[in-house]
Amino acid sequence: MADENNSADENQSEQVSDTGHSWDGIRELNNPCPRWWLNSLYLSGLMVLIYLILYPSLPLINGSSKGLLGWTQMTEYKEDLAEIEARRAPFEKKFSAMTVPEVLADQEMLNYVTASSKVLFGDNCAACHGVGGQAVEGLAYPVLADDDWLYGGSTDQIMMSIANGRQGEMPAHEGSMTNDEVNQLTQFVIDSSNAVLNEAGKALYMEQGCYVCHGNDAKGITEIGSGDLTDKLWRFSGDFEEVRYTILHGVNDNSDPKTRQAIMPQWNEKLAVMLQAKANAIAENQDPRMLEWNKVFEGDETERLTESDIKKLTIYVHQLGGGQSLSQ
Amino acid sequence: MQAEQHQYSFEVVKWFVYMSVVYLVIGTGIGVWIAAELAWPDLNFDNPYISFGRLRPLHTNAVIFAFGGSTLMATAFYIVQRTSHVRLWSDKLAWFTFWGWNLVILGAVITLPLGITQSKEYAELEWPLDILISAVWLAYTFNFIMTLSVRRVSHIYVANWFFLAMMIMVTYLHVVNSLAIPVSFWKSYSIFAGVQDAMIQWWWGHNAVGFFLTAGFLGIMYYFVPKQANRPVYSYRLSVIHFWGLTFGYVWLGAHHLQYTALPDWTGSLGAAISLAMIIPSWGGAINGLFTLSGAWDKLRTDYTLRFLVVSLAFYAMSTFEGPVMSSKTVNALSHYTDWTIGHVHAGALGWVGMISIGAIYHMVERLWDTKIYSVNLVNLHFWMATIGTAMYIIAMWVSGIMQGLMWRAYDDYGNLTYTFVESVAQMHPYYALRTVGGFLFFLGAVVMLFNITITIRKVATNPANKMSHVAGI
Repeated sequence: MADENNSADENQSEQVSDTGHSWDGIRELNNPCPRWWLNSLYLSGLMVLIYLILYPSLPLINGSSKGLLGWTQMTEYKEDLAEIEARRAPFEKKFSAMTVPEVLADQEMLNYVTASSKVLFGDNCAACHGVGGQAVEGLAYPVLADDDWLYGGSTDQIMMSIANGRQGEMPAHEGSMTNDEVNQLTQFVIDSSNAVLNEAGKALYMEQGCYVCHGNDAKGITEIGSGDLTDKLWRFSGDFEEVRYTILHGVNDNSDPKTRQAIMPQWNEKLAVMLQAKANAIAENQDPRMLEWNKVFEGDETERLTESDIKKLTIYVHQLGGGQSLSQ
Repeated sequence: MQAEQHQYSFEVVKWFVYMSVVYLVIGTGIGVWIAAELAWPDLNFDNPYISFGRLRPLHTNAVIFAFGGSTLMATAFYIVQRTSHVRLWSDKLAWFTFWGWNLVILGAVITLPLGITQSKEYAELEWPLDILISAVWLAYTFNFIMTLSVRRVSHIYVANWFFLAMMIMVTYLHVVNSLAIPVSFWKSYSIFAGVQDAMIQWWWGHNAVGFFLTAGFLGIMYYFVPKQANRPVYSYRLSVIHFWGLTFGYVWLGAHHLQYTALPDWTGSLGAAISLAMIIPSWGGAINGLFTLSGAWDKLRTDYTLRFLVVSLAFYAMSTFEGPVMSSKTVNALSHYTDWTIGHVHAGALGWVGMISIGAIYHMVERLWDTKIYSVNLVNLHFWMATIGTAMYIIAMWVSGIMQGLMWRAYDDYGNLTYTFVESVAQMHPYYALRTVGGFLFFLGAVVMLFNITITIRKVATNPANKMSHVAGI
């Protein structure tokens, strides 16, 4: 450990003198500042001067000094943006003039749309539908990469789903059916998916009116997005208890607090803003028909998708693996 | 030594020293926990009180103000007495400072997890605590100035200049940044709005770094490095020039935290220019410390306390070069909002502030309790844990930060973004895990230190024969 004074060092000591003071045994030597350090200090002073001359840096009564380079962060931003937009422009121009089938037939445009949709999809859709539409494990959201579609897999139908959103509805049956009936229907649904004949179950299915939404063949109806009960692809789960839960509490049936939530938001910017404006008007006891739409859309900053984005995503989702032909 | 124990007021210093070690363990412990939350988000257990957003300010307050503050108060009171050759001006004020500061920390521990915050970075505590901080800080400053005024030596030692600069500037910064209109006991609104509020916030934020975490700790360096190495300070002239360089320069830097925002262009470029001009004055302090060791380098082989002090100067030199580079607009466009910033902060916080404080505390413990440390080997172990932990932490954040910056700005041939945001998040995972490990090593080192120092103190307390003056061969 250190001694309490510096006397031990005196004999091997420096030729340099000290300041003549001693604080708690600490002395200070009179070494000059190292030459390289002083030179660097002068250089950095010079550098500050140069910087201040080149860039806007000094406050004046009106605004600030402009700097010889004429740099501002807004011009830098606009230049960078212009560079990116120039790269996109030829594709964007062509894309906006093309119909969806035309794009699907044009490999170069298809490449462009796929590249730009990857991030669009990743930032807006993947949270529920998973990267590449593979769905997120453990969450009950539809897979987009297969050929099973609730609302149809043609480009028109996909675009409709993205733009306007979807909200299927299945009523809760907890009060209207006996426990036995619910179990029997659950078994029927599971048997159907395994192609096992269940006469009694089928009879109950018809009797309870399930066919109204799911169809006589239990294959679902695309127009209302009701599930196909005869395949092994499940909107929620094929587990007995889970199927039973769906029958008991339904989907999006707000009369049952335990109901399953299954909502695809609408991504059409204008539609979303319009509905919100209407809702606001009604809440404020105004007539929604009297809304002035150009004022409603003015300065709107919602982060929903543009028409071009929706068109791109439609093509992207259609290409994920399960797109159906346009005639369907 | 015996005479000194009576001459100086060291009891309050002892308490500050011990509490600062305790707060080092707590502060770094919370840091490790939230680092793990970032790597494995399930660790927040859906509990709002331990979520990242609530614990992060608790971590920063615990390490900066609880640990850093206690260290600054311990060292300032220790140094000002020993270099002025006089007892503290007022013991009562010193005890008020101790209890008041710990009350502030208790307040932080209670309010921050509850979500009570001003939402100002490094100044989260609400107005009643802000007022208490002001009172305690003024008591600390006043006591320090009065002790200097009754000193028994003609000149004021350089370490005390740095403490004085810190005390004056932090008073000014804290009061202005905390000006707010209370609307209830635990809620207030800043009197500044919009971009002015942001500017004031970072004027404070950067000077919390510049004066609290730099000037104060340079004061620590100027006493403990020459003392531990038993060498005179290399150059008086260097200390004068770099002192005034830092004191005049630092207050201009805040705007470099707000490059490419609504802040007017001139403030950002002025902040960047002065930041770059700060590299050399900062290095003035680092080389003055390192050159002080000339002729004493061999001591590093056996003196682990000195190792902490020397390594801290190396980290100080590195991070004071890195910071100005990051503040220039070109580099800032890449580094801002990335983990690189976190890495830079921790190079300064763990490498510089942490290490110099640890060195100073090991030095003080032996002299305050008049004994030898319980285990020199444990000090060596602590040194390696802290150094390796810090290096792992910084490297992990450099890699992840630069990768983030590059992924966010990557465009493909069509002019589309190449990566989604979440892809950049997924890429961070291994580095977040590595950072947690590095931080955990640093934390374990702090636990070793607390153990070592606690045993040391207990041995003296239970058996006065362990006092240094009683140990043979000393």
